[in-house]
Amino acid sequence: MTFLAPAAAVLALTIPAIVALYFLKIRRPTRIVPALHLWPNQIRDRQANVPWQRLRPSWLLFLQLLAAAVLVAAALQPALPAGAALARHSLVLVDASASMQATDLTPSRLAEARRQVNAVIDQLGPSDRMTIIAVGPTARIVASVTGDRDALHRAVNGIRASNGPADLASALILAAGLVRPGDDARAYLFSDGIVQPLRASFAAGLPFPVEYHRVGVSGENVGLTALTVRTSAQTRAAYLHVQNFGQQARSVSVEWRADGRLLDIRSLALAAGQAQDVLLPVPSDATSVTARLDGSDVFALDDSATAVAKTPRAFRVLLVTPGNVFLEKALRLRADLQIDVVAPAAYRPSAAYAMTVFDRFAPPTMPDGPVLIVDPPDGSALAGGKPVGIGRVRAADAGDQLLANVDLQDVHVARSQDLRSSTFGRPLITSQQTPLVLVREEPFRQVLFGFDLHESDLPLRIAFPILTQNLSEWMLPPSVPSHSFHPDEPVTIVPETGATSVNVIRPDGNRRSIAPGSIATFGDTDTTGVYTVEQVVSGKVERSWFSVNLFSDTISQLKPPDRLTLPPTRTATIQATHHGQLEIWPWIALAALGIVAAEWLAFHRGL
Amino acid sequence: MAAALLEPALLRRLEGLALQVRRAVSGQMGGERRSRKRGRSIEFADFRNYTPGDDFRLIDWNAYARLDRFMLRLFVAEEELPLSLFVDLSGSMDWGSPNKAVTARRLAGAIAYVALAALDRVRLTVFADAPTSGGAPYRGRRAAAQLFARLQSFPAGGVTNYERLVWPIGRQRPGMSVLITDGLGEPAMDAALGALQRAHQEGAVLQLLAPQEITPDWSGDARLKDAETGLEREFTATPLTQSAYVNALARRTTEIERAAHRRGLRFARLSSAEPIDEMVQRTLRRIGLLG
Repeated sequence: MTFLAPAAAVLALTIPAIVALYFLKIRRPTRIVPALHLWPNQIRDRQANVPWQRLRPSWLLFLQLLAAAVLVAAALQPALPAGAALARHSLVLVDASASMQATDLTPSRLAEARRQVNAVIDQLGPSDRMTIIAVGPTARIVASVTGDRDALHRAVNGIRASNGPADLASALILAAGLVRPGDDARAYLFSDGIVQPLRASFAAGLPFPVEYHRVGVSGENVGLTALTVRTSAQTRAAYLHVQNFGQQARSVSVEWRADGRLLDIRSLALAAGQAQDVLLPVPSDATSVTARLDGSDVFALDDSATAVAKTPRAFRVLLVTPGNVFLEKALRLRADLQIDVVAPAAYRPSAAYAMTVFDRFAPPTMPDGPVLIVDPPDGSALAGGKPVGIGRVRAADAGDQLLANVDLQDVHVARSQDLRSSTFGRPLITSQQTPLVLVREEPFRQVLFGFDLHESDLPLRIAFPILTQNLSEWMLPPSVPSHSFHPDEPVTIVPETGATSVNVIRPDGNRRSIAPGSIATFGDTDTTGVYTVEQVVSGKVERSWFSVNLFSDTISQLKPPDRLTLPPTRTATIQATHHGQLEIWPWIALAALGIVAAEWLAFHRGL
Repeated sequence: MAAALLEPALLRRLEGLALQVRRAVSGQMGGERRSRKRGRSIEFADFRNYTPGDDFRLIDWNAYARLDRFMLRLFVAEEELPLSLFVDLSGSMDWGSPNKAVTARRLAGAIAYVALAALDRVRLTVFADAPTSGGAPYRGRRAAAQLFARLQSFPAGGVTNYERLVWPIGRQRPGMSVLITDGLGEPAMDAALGALQRAHQEGAVLQLLAPQEITPDWSGDARLKDAETGLEREFTATPLTQSAYVNALARRTTEIERAAHRRGLRFARLSSAEPIDEMVQRTLRRIGLLG
């Protein structure tokens, strides 16, 4: 609390003065009256006798002292600090991520954040400006560099929590872009601190300091963090991962439903921090299964999970090989691929296959479409130069998404064709001697391996099936991926060949149309639940599904960190700021008025 | 002595006045008042048959001539008026400017003088916490000086106690009583007024107040001291509290007036600042006490 008029503290001398008046007697003249009983006796003087007297406890004295104290307090013009120093340009970052839906604060963390931001808005001076950025899966400016309090209130009250994470890095970059050099700017982050790690490099620091205002108190939450349906030859089962993120043991029950039909209810007892996997058989005809935790905790978003149980429509893939068990097994790991294996001699071009894999064989004419060619024989159009000895391999670009989770540390290649002069495409995996794996996007997504898999230990490494999966999904993305996505995560939808219309039906029933001619990225996935993709192919409606679930341990753990690691501030950018002030003296003065009125009443009632 | 209490000029003017009684009275001695007793006067009252022992001087010989019967001619007896003066000389009366006790003595003297001048008998009683008799009844104008001296000999002081007036009032013969007081004593004077009624007294209650107590002329902090009891209280006079006092005094006056009227007594509120002449000539004539 600050005092705008500290000099008024001198008025506090009135307090001992009042007490002194009670000690000191006013010298009163004695007046003889004929009938004392006619004089109103409700007035009892509280002042003492000549010259001193013991201080008598008195309501009047108490009220007078209280009134004087409150009046002095009002005269000091106290102002509550904003909780932060206000800069001329305040950048308010409001966390609008999923965890802000938690109700450990009434009515929710986001509502509390909005309330706090509204309070900051009220403290803006006439020349102050504010920018409000909603920090969700994407950062969004809801009010830009304005001093219009009404507009700011409207903007902050219009912020709704998403179901996704908080991309603080994007928000800070966005905010930094709004600050000009020399600006007196300061950022205020109203968040529960559950944000995505700051991937972006802020080594140079931000042009403004950032204050973290923690919103949220409790991490008591039980959540569902994974649900998958696995299909084997015999059974189909759903695997559910339930975790108690809180510090107290919890008993919960899980309600299982398949396409809305109740399957089972299981009770679970979870100690603090304990996780448990639950397995449930899934009927063969079920399209989706839903698990729901009973009761209510402070975070509802992770209390239900949905998984698609239906096997996605299969792609036919032709593997032309003299025999390669590694490659065949790696391809078969993908559930939506139907692999036909033929010997090179039996190869006939066919349009029925969505993708063709040539192992140590090259047809005279490459089929139109995705192709994976491994070690093309000499003389073929794609063959490289004379084989060279290789040894260790490495990624051409470590950040390439096609090599995601592919560990090439212990991979060795004995020999490979020399692809240095190949014009096939860009290298994906390379060595000191020559590029080893090339990829290209035009005219079709195709991959060229320059070495025989049998002359490498790659098939023996865990990297191989992952690499195969990455490459096959890149070349042949599933029409509609059946696994679970996170909220706001874009979903790639490849319309069926000949599809005349493609619609996505969201869990809330809303339909979104997609252009049927090309691969589309569907980003309207903020709601959790099952999304249905309807495609009309040759007059027939074909349906496929994907699900969106929170499935985030980071968010479900809910516990707001006390401190948040934020990017440093450039020293030179620290500006003089002034404190936001909420002047409360009018309220104190009002209270003083009430006390004075009470004192007047007390005086006249002879208290 | 008389001059010290009332000026000769005032006394001369008083001689022209007389106490007004609404009903006939009976005194022990002849006076100028109509008596309920038949007596000697020029005012014919009635006839009655003569019975042996009657004063044969009252036989109406004209009636005997006409009726051949002895008829006695009866006249209204004119008797003295017993006037009782009860003068409050309590501590509260010894207050004000002009002093209420002084004014009360003068007023009592004036009324007594009117009565004495009319050959009425005057009994004086002063009272504070207890009634004190002013001696044997006074009669005749010559007794005035004695009465005045007696009046002046009583000091003012003590606490008003109206209840103790009940006994001396009860001993009064039917007649006229005048009670001069400020009416501020805490025990209500209703008992005394009731005793006046029971003793067949007609008369008046004269409430005498000082101008300073009718309208307090001070404000601010003070230590109030009761003139009678000596009780003290610290007090801060404000317009509001002054107003409360004036209202209380007005209520008290109204109570006394109503009680007096209820008992068939006249009432007047007088200010000690008012000249005695004014009081007598104007106020007491207005209420019908003097005429």
